[in-house]
Amino acid sequence: MTKVKLDLPISTDDLSSCVACGLCLPHCPTYRVTQEEGSSPRGRIALMQRAHHEGAVDAEFIQFIDSCIQCRGCETACPAGVEFGSMMETTREALTAQTHYVPWWLRLGYRLLGSQGALAAASKVLAILQRLSLIPRRFSLPRIPLTQKPLRSSGSDVWLFTGCVMDAWMRDTHRAVQRVIESTGKAVAFPDKRAVCCGALHVHAGLGPDARRLAARTIEAFPGDNPILVDSAGCGAQLKEYGRLLGSESARKFSQRVFDVHEWLAQRVEDLPEVDLTPPRIAVQDPCHLRHAQRVHEAVYQVLGLYAETVPVDDDGLCCGAGGAYATLHSEMASDVRDRKVEAIERTNAQEVASANPGCLLHLRSAGIAVRHPLEIVDTLMRKGE
Amino acid sequence: MVHKSADQNLLGELRSFLGDRARDGEFELGLYSKDGSVLEGNPMIVCLPVNTEEVQQIVTVCRKHHRPFLARGSGTGLAGGAVPVGDPVVIATAKMNKILEVDLQNRIAWVEPGVLNLDLSRELSPLGFHFAPDPSSQQVCSIGGNVANNSGGPHCLAYGVTSAHVLAIEVVLPDGRIAVLGDLTAEPPGYDLRGIFVGSEGTMGVATKVAVRLTPNPPEIRTLLLDFADVRDGAATVSAIIAAGLIPAALEMMDQRAIEMVEAFVNAGYPTDADAVLLVEIDGLAGGVEHGIEVVRAVAARHHVGSVRVAADDAERDLLWKGRKNAFGAVARIKPDYYLHDTVVPRGKLVEVLEKVYRIADAHDLIAVNVFHAGDGNLHPILAYDSKEKGVLERVHAAGRAIVTASIEAGGVLSGEHGIGLEKRDYMGMLFSAHDMATQDLVREAFDPDGLANPLKVLPSGSRCSDSFGQHVPDGAWV
Amino acid sequence: MSQRDAMQQEVDQFAKDVGASDPVTVVGGRTHWQVGGLPEPEAREVRAPEGVWAHEPEEMTVRCGAGTTLGQLSEELARHGQMVPFDMDANATVGGVLAVGRSGFRRLRYGHVRDLVLQIRHIDHKGRIVSSGGPTVKNVSGYDLCRLLVGSLGKFGCIAEVTLRCLPIPETTQWFTGSLDPFELHKKLYRPSSILWNGLQVWVCLEGVASDVAAQAATFDFEEAPGPPPFPTVGRLSVEPRDLQRHVTSSKLACLAEVGVGIIHTNEVTHSRSIPEVNLSLMRELEERLDPNGRLNPGRQVLNR
Repeated sequence: MTKVKLDLPISTDDLSSCVACGLCLPHCPTYRVTQEEGSSPRGRIALMQRAHHEGAVDAEFIQFIDSCIQCRGCETACPAGVEFGSMMETTREALTAQTHYVPWWLRLGYRLLGSQGALAAASKVLAILQRLSLIPRRFSLPRIPLTQKPLRSSGSDVWLFTGCVMDAWMRDTHRAVQRVIESTGKAVAFPDKRAVCCGALHVHAGLGPDARRLAARTIEAFPGDNPILVDSAGCGAQLKEYGRLLGSESARKFSQRVFDVHEWLAQRVEDLPEVDLTPPRIAVQDPCHLRHAQRVHEAVYQVLGLYAETVPVDDDGLCCGAGGAYATLHSEMASDVRDRKVEAIERTNAQEVASANPGCLLHLRSAGIAVRHPLEIVDTLMRKGE
Repeated sequence: MVHKSADQNLLGELRSFLGDRARDGEFELGLYSKDGSVLEGNPMIVCLPVNTEEVQQIVTVCRKHHRPFLARGSGTGLAGGAVPVGDPVVIATAKMNKILEVDLQNRIAWVEPGVLNLDLSRELSPLGFHFAPDPSSQQVCSIGGNVANNSGGPHCLAYGVTSAHVLAIEVVLPDGRIAVLGDLTAEPPGYDLRGIFVGSEGTMGVATKVAVRLTPNPPEIRTLLLDFADVRDGAATVSAIIAAGLIPAALEMMDQRAIEMVEAFVNAGYPTDADAVLLVEIDGLAGGVEHGIEVVRAVAARHHVGSVRVAADDAERDLLWKGRKNAFGAVARIKPDYYLHDTVVPRGKLVEVLEKVYRIADAHDLIAVNVFHAGDGNLHPILAYDSKEKGVLERVHAAGRAIVTASIEAGGVLSGEHGIGLEKRDYMGMLFSAHDMATQDLVREAFDPDGLANPLKVLPSGSRCSDSFGQHVPDGAWV
Repeated sequence: MSQRDAMQQEVDQFAKDVGASDPVTVVGGRTHWQVGGLPEPEAREVRAPEGVWAHEPEEMTVRCGAGTTLGQLSEELARHGQMVPFDMDANATVGGVLAVGRSGFRRLRYGHVRDLVLQIRHIDHKGRIVSSGGPTVKNVSGYDLCRLLVGSLGKFGCIAEVTLRCLPIPETTQWFTGSLDPFELHKKLYRPSSILWNGLQVWVCLEGVASDVAAQAATFDFEEAPGPPPFPTVGRLSVEPRDLQRHVTSSKLACLAEVGVGIIHTNEVTHSRSIPEVNLSLMRELEERLDPNGRLNPGRQVLNR
């Protein structure tokens, strides 16, 4: 059995904060699929404990750590308040720095996200390949636009973070979000190209230094004190983590300015216009980074609930399997995880599904689910009801 | 922890039908070395079967190699029942997690052992039924584990423990034969093998299918939260409610420390300034429920209750229960480790034994937290500690022994629902004579004469007629 | 001498009576004397001690000698508004009823009495006292031999002392009767105590607070009945609840079925069902180990001959 050395910089206190009660197991999407201890949060912490103790890991260790979607569903389930997400990020960063855990081509892919020009070029290539039907369906890509109209700032009351992939592939969602924000009487500003990517995928992959570089650049793109609104749950969770990631006072202050756009709108429901329509029945899929990381998923129900009959998906907020790049890198597991979500969605008998995270949107769409961003649905209903 | 490399012949045979579902990777074996207790053992190989036939093959191969085996469900047991001692093959039944049949005419469901307790009740809920035993770990514990431990839970006060809710069990016996113990009729012919198998902690074979009874969901449920400025008033209220002829669906108690921990997790509005709270649930038809609430209010008023809060809706009720059911894990908020005990005392002795528990904890410089099934006198003292402190485990074990002794002296028993496992097998002599235990072993032996099924559990070494290969619990197992 | 010592003395005496050699048979109220066949004539008759030794209303437990009659027990418990729902001949003894292992007609609500057995002290084949279970209402300490003793016809040991869990006597107990579909009733009533059906007529027992009993009864076309009808006594069938209808409608002689439970009391002669081979071998292993010389209640058979 070959082992590789690994120095895991997690404190003994953090590692022993898990009492191994197992209450996290049913809330872990990969455990739900495999029923294997190694694919559970409790098992993964036990693996970390052993790695920490031995200073080395084996192939199974890497496989089980790598199979985690990092949805953090275990954190909200944990009565002991174990911070699993940050322990997993540290473990991935140690693996990336000390082993060949992330191959060169993947590192290159992540770099691409940090460069607007390169991402735009790559997106164009993808868009062309897509039109030539050269991209297999299992990659679950949306229809990527060949050309994009720029987003236009309407003032400077609030910032709207645009991100990397979402901006390149789903810019119309930003436009819909902008219209909904403007309907409350506030004007929206867009950041310059320094805010090209939040770095969440890099943190998940263990590319800590890249993530920190992107974070520092992003912070520079949002001068002043105005709130920074985010319409992607994954990006929002990451921006709120900058304080911890960079450890600086300015980063902490920045993070305090960040709100998920629904969280911000939920404080202003009386400013949102009323419409006279029969509310459609919409199932709400809570993105993990909204429910388990940011813990503000209720806001979606408050905002969307003004225009639609919202139905929660009755699976305790179990992950859909998207997990940023996870659905692409672990397509089989991601699809098994998604099967459970699809069943739960079908139980709702809703006309359409709302999901406030681009990763979940793409992943669910590729399973044939009719799903849109909650504010795209709101935008449509508002315009219809005018 | 020393890893003994797997017997390659045995592994090869297991792989011949399990493929990569027979595992011997060092890190992965470590994951199956523990359950929810603080005890630890060493599996030789971990098998992940998906059906009865595979379990049968595993048992047969183990028997051929004279290798002990043990079944493991979700690994939440607190008495070390699923801790592998004697380098056994672990048969993890978690992948056997299908609900095979729901038979409303017979009001039963056939399920595989890896089905999770709460998943089953949720699946049954639209049909108007549930599975009554509801251990605090119900969201993760498996039906197979419930059968092995004859599990209880808060609602067993009114509905009875697992044994009363299991009609038949398909079992792979330690000799590799398959038997169905019990049947779906009211009075199966012959002796009650089903009854003795439930609670035998995996020492009589591996359950591979279970027929569980479906309990109708009550039309009305009301949950009350009562707070007391003195824990003694709370305990007296428990006895008085029962003496008044009322059997609530559940009657749970939490002491002041437990209230604080739990409130930090759920923010359900538990009164953190109270010395104790009672969580009382009354279910059934409207009239009986109203009557029950009146009885509780009247009895509590006589015992100086602070306030009586009746949960307004399902959401509030769920939140109160979430606090109760997550209490043990929440201990980590005050100390990184805990040792959870499980004894039963006569309800009338609750106050006396509780006070002893606090004194024992103080004397051993430990923190005691109490959250328990008061209605049936089932104490769950939690000793919170930090394993990094030198010599703390000796103190924890000494205090544990003192708590068990105090409970037995008060007319109680060793365990109410967690089982004996590895943890309490050496305490069995406190409750049973050598002859009592020898008789129990005769019964176990009828199922497993070679002692291959989950060896070294339940009965202390000396009491066994056929002690497994002269093996003993390794010293390290206690750490 | 304390009461505890006096009780112990009685159990000790019973152990001596059972002794360590020669065949013995335990006599209770002789109400189920035929079950499992008659004991061999040479077997010496012994009687378990009687008396309600400790009833603790607040604990809802009662300890009694196995020779105590159900009548004595219920009289004592009723003083404190409690009961153990055996629902059998008042002359039957607690130990006898448990050894026979049959449930009462309110099983639908209360379950089998074996689930109310907390602790049993029995005398083994060598005349020694063996204790199993525990005195508290909840207990999983060790193997639960009580389960095996219930329904064992004394083949594993002679029951000497029993601790039972009691239940509160409900505020109202009312029988109703009518010509209704018993299976429909079973679906719609919440926790009825008993639904009896003879193929034509239904008897239902509802218990609880008066308002609930009245409200549940009001939804059906019932009339009050003084109690259950007489039970046919020749035979007893145990079937899956879903097969009950088929058995009742094909029955040639009078029968009364416990709907939802699967017991049919009938005037036809019934035969015990066969036991699967693997189960039979396990049961024989148990007999072999717990009474190697077959001196306990010889003649009576739990296993088919």
